[in-house]
Amino acid sequence: MSLITFAGRGPLSRGTRRSALPLGTIGRHLRPFALPAALLAAWELAAHAGFVDARFLPPLEAVLARAVAEIGHGDLAANLLASLQRDLIGFAFGGTAGIFLGLVIGFSPLAQRLLGPLLLVHRQIALFAWVPLISMWFGGGETGKIVFIALAAFQPSLINTWQGVAAIPRSYRELAAVLTLGWLDFARLIAIPGALPQIFTGLHSALIYAWTTTVGAELLLNIAPGLGGRMNEGQHLFHMDLLLLCILLLGGVGVAFNIIAGGLERRLLRWRTP
Amino acid sequence: MGAGRINASRGPADGVDRAIPARRRLAAAWWTLALGLIVPLILLATWLAAALLGQLPEQILPPPWAVFDTLSDIIGDGTLASSIATSLQRVAEGFAAGALAGLVLGTAIGLSKALRETVDPLFLAMSQVPTLGWMPIVILLVGIDEGLKIIVIGWSAFIPVVLNTSQGVRDVPQAYVELGRVLSFSPWSRLTTIILPSAVPSIFTGLREGLANSWQTLVAVELIASFEGLGYLMAYGRQLFQLELVLAAMIAVGLIGLLIHGLLTLAETHLQRWRPEMPR
Amino acid sequence: MKFAQIAALLGGLLAAAPASAETLLRIGYPGTGIDDRPYAYGDYIAAAHVQQLVEAEFKDLPDVKVTWTFFRGAGPALNESLAAGQLDFAAGLGDLPSIVGRSRGLQTRYLASAGSHDALYLAVPPDSPLKTVEDLKGHKVAQFRGTNLQIATDRVLEKHGLTEKDIRFVSLDSNAATAALVSGNVEASFGGSEYLDLAKRGAVKIIYSTKTDDPTLGRNSGLLVTAAFEQAHPDYTARVVHAFVKAARFASDEANRQAVFELWSKAGLPVESFEADFKDERLAHRVSPLVDDFIIARYKDQAERAKAYGLIKKDVDIDGWFETKYLKQALSDLKLETFWPSFDAKGRKVSEGEVETTKAATN
Repeated sequence: MSLITFAGRGPLSRGTRRSALPLGTIGRHLRPFALPAALLAAWELAAHAGFVDARFLPPLEAVLARAVAEIGHGDLAANLLASLQRDLIGFAFGGTAGIFLGLVIGFSPLAQRLLGPLLLVHRQIALFAWVPLISMWFGGGETGKIVFIALAAFQPSLINTWQGVAAIPRSYRELAAVLTLGWLDFARLIAIPGALPQIFTGLHSALIYAWTTTVGAELLLNIAPGLGGRMNEGQHLFHMDLLLLCILLLGGVGVAFNIIAGGLERRLLRWRTP
Repeated sequence: MGAGRINASRGPADGVDRAIPARRRLAAAWWTLALGLIVPLILLATWLAAALLGQLPEQILPPPWAVFDTLSDIIGDGTLASSIATSLQRVAEGFAAGALAGLVLGTAIGLSKALRETVDPLFLAMSQVPTLGWMPIVILLVGIDEGLKIIVIGWSAFIPVVLNTSQGVRDVPQAYVELGRVLSFSPWSRLTTIILPSAVPSIFTGLREGLANSWQTLVAVELIASFEGLGYLMAYGRQLFQLELVLAAMIAVGLIGLLIHGLLTLAETHLQRWRPEMPR
Repeated sequence: MKFAQIAALLGGLLAAAPASAETLLRIGYPGTGIDDRPYAYGDYIAAAHVQQLVEAEFKDLPDVKVTWTFFRGAGPALNESLAAGQLDFAAGLGDLPSIVGRSRGLQTRYLASAGSHDALYLAVPPDSPLKTVEDLKGHKVAQFRGTNLQIATDRVLEKHGLTEKDIRFVSLDSNAATAALVSGNVEASFGGSEYLDLAKRGAVKIIYSTKTDDPTLGRNSGLLVTAAFEQAHPDYTARVVHAFVKAARFASDEANRQAVFELWSKAGLPVESFEADFKDERLAHRVSPLVDDFIIARYKDQAERAKAYGLIKKDVDIDGWFETKYLKQALSDLKLETFWPSFDAKGRKVSEGEVETTKAATN
């Protein structure tokens, strides 16, 4: 996924073009913060000067105060945990199902012929089109939400596992035949380790997708403790500060997931020579 | 990933191995098609049989003929056509807006390191927030009209287009750019003659992902708040417990998705043809 | 194994039902209070919930666990739960969703009426140029689809020469509709008593109400049980009905009028909005559990109209739906057989009720 490969990519020197800003090294270090700082300053200004309706743009202190209040005696933390719980359970189910099916299809050309087209069509059905059906089959409570999140995690996990196995070079298979390795040994010693990076990429993707879908699930299915519910509340009551706080949390968890998954990938794949 | 390409080494770009005689290839193609249809047909037959035997409670799955009836109903009275038109129009407008903005920003970021370092962190952080997470705020700001849909759909297309475009622009081999400079190309000509064409595969990947995102976001947005469209049909079906309507709309969504996927694959293959293999 | 069975099995596993001999008694209510708080208002179900009458009924049976679930998605969401086997009782389910559920094969039994003559209000922004129902033609209107608001609205539209196709309806739940109306995202909204407080504060203007119109235009709701639960636990079902009839007795007595309003205000609406909603109306007019000819006729009528408006696809058998033996038993046990008046199909009184002579407490 391009999003993951983006961080930290690209050659260091890009030719002899000098930076247009005259600030030198200090400027270079400050640059990442320049834009956010400028935007925050503009926001504070606009909020206080009354250019924009206070409902739509609460001053930064208000957001901060809301954050403190929520952490102190609100249940935002509990809501966050509830969302995370759903997310991770759904991810666990969907991710494992995806890996399992991906391995089956990757190893068996017959399975691929049988299931490939069906899975292709299934991929084309927008994920959220399943919401009405899932809520009718499983209800709109925890079960329904978890099933939906699992469905979201299933897709990237399946595709990447499948591709990972499929990309095992023919020479490896031939080597296995030469060494008279049984099918199981081939899978255990060569194929799965070989496909592991791709499988992890798939799980990483699935983790992000699952989190993205968790919000959607909470917005579209029954009210229950969770970030989606709080966002609904914020929207209906015109509590922009709450909404902004929730956005920060959503983004924060996304970033955290990316970092954790990236770190795990690097550690677990350290043994591989690139 | 196409079926049957597992063990293909660097074959011809269109995947056709001309060493095998045409008749055998055709037979193989039919066989692949047949195999691919087995499982769906079995599922369909099971559905039909269960419905005929009265084993299928309506609230789990309505009988296939009910879905068929509903489909012909909404095709007949024009509801399906107008819903599809509305939804496609929304996707087109949102995607166009997001892709255009994405191309501009992506190119700018790709070209200017200074700009990249300034904008990147914020952009990356914002793109971590699920698209739907922005919805309550956007609803608060612009309401539930078309504007909401264009903005949210546009945003979902914007992100991959920016990321892939900037990556593609940055990946242009320095040698080419140097050559352009040596040949006294103006910066604008360098951009349009060397950099952008070289970045086309990445740009295309971004556009492709953007379009896929747009379609996904459209359905979600229409489910949450709309007066018409395919998502609206599904929401209506859900409220009135009419699973046939939900299924009929899902079929439409799936078919359109398939169509978009097919068109994009076609376009991609076409684009691959003129490009010689790039040195990696 | 059929896919549906696998799905249900997975659902059952995921739901992780508590082990051992515990019997769950799951009650669902189609609605929530303001900002989604888990409270009901406007009927005797709310009274039962707040006063914990159902829980009290099972105090001597520690193995029976009573749970309440409040559905923001109202009737449709409750139907989904019923279909997924996650509820035993639907308390206060509106006429349309219960009819829709029955027409889709949901096996339920109608035990008692949970309310009738519920008013429908049409609210617009205060500066809106819309003045009558006819003015709505071509405009964007919020309505909670699939709830009894929809069928009531459709009937009001029919009376004023309009159909659903003449209006651009968007389906929004109560809170979302209020927010949309106040912020101008929709030009009008059909809803219940939640709009009265807003009208009082000047945030909206109410341009139509069924209170001043044909009495058959009101909304109905009922107390239902799943056929499965009733067959497995007829004794528990009887107890539940017993508890609800007690609640109905309390909530329809004019002497308790103020107390009832205060009880309902736990949902977040102020007492004044209930006073306005029930202006010139006795509590017992809406709060009565009796399943008399009027109720039966109302439901038959709603079913026919639902089919006419295309909301359901086939005819629904209403007669076989009602199971009033528990109600009759509870009435006789509590000596309330003549407490409520009963009406015939046309709405004419057939028998007197003691509740009509109760008086509001003088303050």
